[in-house]
Amino acid sequence: MGRGVGSRSGGGAAQPPWHSLPDEVWEHAFSFLPAAADRGAAAGACRGWLRAERRSRRRLAVANCYATSPRDAVERFPSVRAAEVKGKPHFADFGLVPPAWGAEAAPWVAAAADGWPLLEELSFKRMVVTDECLEMIAASFRNFQVLRLVSCEGFSTAGLAAITEGCRNLRELDLQENYIEDCSSHWLSSFPESFTSLETLNFSCLDGEVNFAVLERLVTRCHNLKTLKLNNAIPLDKVASLLRKAPHIVELGTGKFSADYHPDLFAKLEAAFAGCKSLRRLSGAWDAVPDYLSAFYGVCEGLTSLNLSYATVRGPELIKFISRCKNLQQLWVMDLIEDHGLAVVASTCSKLQELRVFPSDPFGAGQVLLTERGLVDVSASCPMLESVLYFCRRMTNEALITIAKNRPNFTCFRLCILEPRTPDYITQQSLDAGFSAIVESCKGLRRLSVSGLLTDLVFKSIGEHADRLEMLSIAFAGNSDLGLHYILSGCKSLKKLEIRDCPFGNKPLLANAAKLETMRSLWMSSCSLTLGACRQLAQKMPRLTVEIMNDPGRACPLDALPDESPVEKLYVYRTIAGPRSDTPDYVQIV
Amino acid sequence: MLVMAECKASAACWPTRPDLSTDLRLGLSLSTSLSSSSSLQAAESIPSMPRNQVLLSWPPIKPFLRSALAASASRRRRQQTLFVKVYMEGLPIGRKLDLLLLDGYDSLLVKLCNMFKTPITYADVYQQQVPGVKAAHFLTYEDQDGDWMMVGDVPWNLFLTSVKKIRITRTDKC
Repeated sequence: MGRGVGSRSGGGAAQPPWHSLPDEVWEHAFSFLPAAADRGAAAGACRGWLRAERRSRRRLAVANCYATSPRDAVERFPSVRAAEVKGKPHFADFGLVPPAWGAEAAPWVAAAADGWPLLEELSFKRMVVTDECLEMIAASFRNFQVLRLVSCEGFSTAGLAAITEGCRNLRELDLQENYIEDCSSHWLSSFPESFTSLETLNFSCLDGEVNFAVLERLVTRCHNLKTLKLNNAIPLDKVASLLRKAPHIVELGTGKFSADYHPDLFAKLEAAFAGCKSLRRLSGAWDAVPDYLSAFYGVCEGLTSLNLSYATVRGPELIKFISRCKNLQQLWVMDLIEDHGLAVVASTCSKLQELRVFPSDPFGAGQVLLTERGLVDVSASCPMLESVLYFCRRMTNEALITIAKNRPNFTCFRLCILEPRTPDYITQQSLDAGFSAIVESCKGLRRLSVSGLLTDLVFKSIGEHADRLEMLSIAFAGNSDLGLHYILSGCKSLKKLEIRDCPFGNKPLLANAAKLETMRSLWMSSCSLTLGACRQLAQKMPRLTVEIMNDPGRACPLDALPDESPVEKLYVYRTIAGPRSDTPDYVQIV
Repeated sequence: MLVMAECKASAACWPTRPDLSTDLRLGLSLSTSLSSSSSLQAAESIPSMPRNQVLLSWPPIKPFLRSALAASASRRRRQQTLFVKVYMEGLPIGRKLDLLLLDGYDSLLVKLCNMFKTPITYADVYQQQVPGVKAAHFLTYEDQDGDWMMVGDVPWNLFLTSVKKIRITRTDKC
């Protein structure tokens, strides 16, 4: 915290004129700093700016719901209109965090209801949101407009009904990959007939049926509807009808897209899509029916985003389709596209910024012909490519070095070689050289996931060169404590570190304890940690919460265990709120 | 004092989702054995994941994608076929049979007996199960090496990967 502006001693030097400016002027000035990091920096300059900034902050992002108490956050930033809160650690997405771990949204909703009556937007990610939370949201904020729930659970369609019924000014209802219990309540019908403000409706993750007539009426009367993402219950011919009612749509998710070929259905779809001149983003669970793809040809040219990660379409039809999408910026696709498909992407999509390739058969024998070649081609020909997530079965150092040379502008590079510890398939060496090339070349790299056979040396490179790296994911890599030490003693900007199945032990953790307070969180599972080190860490660093997770089957009190007991899962994060009180049996805070 | 919203409905409305705790235990037991191995310090010597011990939290794909893939994989399996030619010794015209529609040697036998209207048997051990019915024919197959083998010696799934043709041979020839 900077010292107070007026405390400068000085013989006779007049204070600069801006010191007497009222707070409102500063607040207005800060409104031109949209980035939270910039606002935070301004707030650190002096008490006056701190006061002005925090009172005028409109958007708040809490990246770890346990880093602060909800009440504190609400008190500190009383004017917030839009809040985003994230809960469980990232590895919860892959089943590494048992159920009932925590991250309840309820305390946040309650605090917001008390302190932010003018709240307009709320976004929760990886949290437990109950129907009661949704009811409270609907009842507490008279101008509530945007609800975004990503990878959440704990609520049902009854809770959704409370939102649709109660939020008269709702603009966005965005449900991404949540587990929603279908209680068959007519949440869609709960939108009043007079309600017309909807701009975004995404219910793609909902399992149950929806009343199509109600949906159609809703779509017809909401003239500002820009984003519509349907679920699997809506068949193709109904999609065509909806499109005719909402031709101004910008983003469409088709839900299930599999049907036997009928020429009249094809004609209907083609005509409907031809009318959608504003369509830019397309997604859906296209189930291996290439016959209908050509119905989309009319919109291909305008598409900037294509999400086919749930589409099992393969072969020439897929490639023909993508080859028409010259303006694509974002492409998510299955590895069914294969190398020659990516070669087409490389030559067609010169504006591509983000590519994600998912494994269609992660546990299978590996029949798909997607190799390092595809990624090399795309990196060579797409000059704006900066974000990659790539699942494949083989890689070489040479390919990675070429990719690094081609694309020094990567900000996010995530490579997942399906079989752990796979070496360079030609030289049988580790992939140290390849990943080192990536971090040396891509100076702006913010996110990195490594895989394949890797020794401690790659972490030396990462620690030394990855100055802007904020998030690092490591699995089945390294050979000793040194690996972790290189990371923690380097990587100046590291915020999130998640590690699984690596031979990293206690020493580097304790030697770099102070580093952990500069980071948001650290996850380590199936490494070589023992309880004693965790105890020491907790003692040394009171502003860190050190959580240990045991096998849910046996809840053994930590105090009874000796120092040498192995720790299966460790989650460490900085917090100003002290240890949380809602831990389940299998989580213990050291 | 924080007001904790009562989550009474949430316990009842727990959504149906893959039971991750079971996945977790399987994953846990595998990785604990890896981490307690003393050879962990030299990663080079660690053998790669045995194929039959699938770590359910790897590769890192989200549960929605994982279940979508599982659903489409089972759909693909239903659509696959494995047609092989079946010849009966003495008959110049053969038949074709989709082996994936059968679930084992017994159903293969039943199917072929129906097709060719004659009792057939395969490996010797099965003759003992039907005493008194000495089949005039027994079952052989050509494998991927071109060798003619007795049907019934290997597990059914292994048989499916190696069978190229089936031949119903007369017992008295053997």
